[in-house]
Amino acid sequence: MQRRRGTPGLAWRAGPLALLLVLAGCGQAGPSASVPAETGPAESAVPSTTPEAAVESLRAGMVGDESTLNPYTYVTGFPGWNLLMLQYDSLLQFDVNGEPQPWLASGYEVSADGLTYTVTLVDGVTWNDGTPFTADDVKFTVDYFQANTQSRFTRDLSGVASVTVDAPNKVTITLTSPNPSFPIRALADVPIIPKHIWESVTTPAEATFDSPTNVGTGPYKLVEYVADQSYRFVANETYFRGAPAVKELVLVQYADEAGIVAALRTGDVQAGFRSISPEQVEALAAAPGIDVAQGPEFTTQMLYFDVTKAPFDQLAVRQAISLAIDRQDMVNTVYLGKGTVGNSGWTHPSSPFFNAAVATTTDVARANALLDEAGLTDSNGDGIREFDGNPMSFELLAPSDNPLRLRLAELSREMLAQIGIDAVVTSIERDTLVNRVWPDFDVSKGRDYEMSIFGWSAPVQVDPAQITALVASDPAVGSINIAGFKNAEADRLSGEILVEGDPTRRKDLLGQLQALVADQVPFVMLLYPDGNYAYNADAYDGWAFIAGQGVVNKLSFLQPDSRP
Amino acid sequence: MTAGGVSLPELPEPAVRLESTPIGAPAAARGRLTIDGTTVIGLVGVVLVGGLILTAILAPFLAPYDPRERVGIPFQRPSALYPLGTNDIGQDLLSELIYGARVSLTVGIVAATVALIIGTTVGVLAGFYRRIVGSVLMRFVDILLIIPFLPLLIVLAAYLGRSLLNTILIIGVLIWAATARVIRSQVLSLTQRDYIRAARALGASDARIIGRHILPRVLLLGISQFVQATSGAILLEASLSFLGLGDPLQKSWGSILYWAQVRGAFLTDAWLWWVLPPGLLIGAAALGFALMGFALEQRINPQLRSGR
Repeated sequence: MQRRRGTPGLAWRAGPLALLLVLAGCGQAGPSASVPAETGPAESAVPSTTPEAAVESLRAGMVGDESTLNPYTYVTGFPGWNLLMLQYDSLLQFDVNGEPQPWLASGYEVSADGLTYTVTLVDGVTWNDGTPFTADDVKFTVDYFQANTQSRFTRDLSGVASVTVDAPNKVTITLTSPNPSFPIRALADVPIIPKHIWESVTTPAEATFDSPTNVGTGPYKLVEYVADQSYRFVANETYFRGAPAVKELVLVQYADEAGIVAALRTGDVQAGFRSISPEQVEALAAAPGIDVAQGPEFTTQMLYFDVTKAPFDQLAVRQAISLAIDRQDMVNTVYLGKGTVGNSGWTHPSSPFFNAAVATTTDVARANALLDEAGLTDSNGDGIREFDGNPMSFELLAPSDNPLRLRLAELSREMLAQIGIDAVVTSIERDTLVNRVWPDFDVSKGRDYEMSIFGWSAPVQVDPAQITALVASDPAVGSINIAGFKNAEADRLSGEILVEGDPTRRKDLLGQLQALVADQVPFVMLLYPDGNYAYNADAYDGWAFIAGQGVVNKLSFLQPDSRP
Repeated sequence: MTAGGVSLPELPEPAVRLESTPIGAPAAARGRLTIDGTTVIGLVGVVLVGGLILTAILAPFLAPYDPRERVGIPFQRPSALYPLGTNDIGQDLLSELIYGARVSLTVGIVAATVALIIGTTVGVLAGFYRRIVGSVLMRFVDILLIIPFLPLLIVLAAYLGRSLLNTILIIGVLIWAATARVIRSQVLSLTQRDYIRAARALGASDARIIGRHILPRVLLLGISQFVQATSGAILLEASLSFLGLGDPLQKSWGSILYWAQVRGAFLTDAWLWWVLPPGLLIGAAALGFALMGFALEQRINPQLRSGR
């Protein structure tokens, strides 16, 4: 449950894949970046009440230091990116349903060939140092991130061929190839940075807090940073969407979740910027004055196997494993019901691209029948089937620093025992595990594991097209295909999805790929944990739960009529 | 209560004097009290340890459930069905505790055996070949005693990975230093005795002298060291497991505490039935072995044998 603190800086500087990993490793990792989803928060979603007058000051607890919070120095995808975006704005902004809406851009048009985006900007926006915001800043941002590659945003913008300034409030962005995910992956994700500040910054990753790099258009300005202790933001009263509802925001760092929970109880903080673990939800919600905002998040918990290795290369074995896993039991037992049952087609049911026709079934009898038909029988009567004369006994890896994943591994072992497969749960260091499952974050380097509990952070499901990265056999496309899955039909569908510009056709293709994943079982999708954010409703009650993303976002601090 | 501090050679003087003045009233009173006290302390230790060992052996008959089976809904409070409630995935906590005695006691005893073997070997060699071999070995022991213990343990545990065997080996190879020192000082004294000199003069080999004359005389001392080391090893296993550096899937008392901690039992009133019982058992086991070791040492250690 602990967010890993050992590798600050790795997340963004070691490349975009590392980002996914840092988040993926944390069972409770909140989501980050942009997440499209149709449904609103489940269960007791926070009512977006109208804060009559602005709240003077709010203290919130967080875990781990996020450095100086500029686009090159922040550390993790959550809450680092979320806090960064309190100071900066992107051209589009996600609404509570996770749909990108106009923000710094008042609108955009896409050419018929999908290559040209003509973006119109909102007038009258100023940087928080008083300088006006113009189209030059947008062009500068793209050029700067492309030239200074130690940032995740470099990858977001890698498909941009050129940016031209047509007017002070109009830019044209030209892509090298059609990319239907561009609005979600880039326009709603990349913070626009001020040209007049950054043009003189040559080593962005070394920018300290005192340097003038923390100038943004966003609703808050960072005024104080004490390393490993706290952040203090003050509201940008002249914010272009209206003055924020909270005038001062103080973030206090705690060593772990328990620290935040204790501080909430004593009143030292009024909100927790970290999803609390399922077993704490009931107790905290019952505490006087404390409420818990719950909703779906797009992080995943999955059971992986190396499909290049026998017997996992046999479809019957993979299908039997999927049938043997009781996902509802896992949600109920390990997450105490605070999660969504995994869909065998991988995509979260709250996603607008979810194929509702893909069913997920648990049927131990059928799983056993499948294995019997495949000739994998238990000939010596020890309760474990044999394959080529060897017992079907496999090592199931689980990260030692993630108790919930350890428990998922234990439950998997129990469920697989019912179909005569012996999973030996091995708890190993997280770095060791990653190195065996995903050596050097490069799937072309192979893998050295039999089975493992693994998962991805929310951004992997933000962009629906990312499912191709999980299953395509070409490492350039299937960049996180850590199962080693190879299927001609999956490759064909992936290729089409990545260039299809027609929304209806694209959704259809995504649905087909989900059905294929459900049938071919390159991995077993176990569950999607919910986000649970505790706060003191008396202190502030205006939280906005963005589906898949949680409450740590700028919408939470804006007056309701300022929100998209 | 560790052995290192009480085995230094300066102590025997008053003891000898006590022995030689048997009619001194205060001395006699103190002597009798020591005997009684030691016996009582030893008995308490034996009862504690015996009870726990019996629990470990009879675990399948005592435990109401299989500790690996999910028998109820998670996070239940104590009830008639589950006397100590259930853990975070619905396993019976009482059964976990009873089976946990097996893991915790095994780790303690095996790790202490490892320490006994290493410690006795080093102690005897260092005492017998005291010039070069002895100096080198004892400097090494000094280094081992100087290194901050818990950090080294944690680093080793993190580096070697999690398994019961690793936990045992790590604890074993780190706690033998005290045993080595006690044994060495006894060997130093033995080698100066006339009969050993005589044996040597008659041409007995080193191996014969060690095997025939020295080992039998330090073995008893080793056993008291062993019992005390067991106490330490049980505590260390609990510490490592609690910190998540043991194998969290082994049902030891320490790992029960680990799960209690990571699943928030410390923050709710669940500590009463989830944290307190394993804590008390760890305490009882460590205390039991420590008391036995203390009593044994009072009897065996020549420098502490004041009452006899």
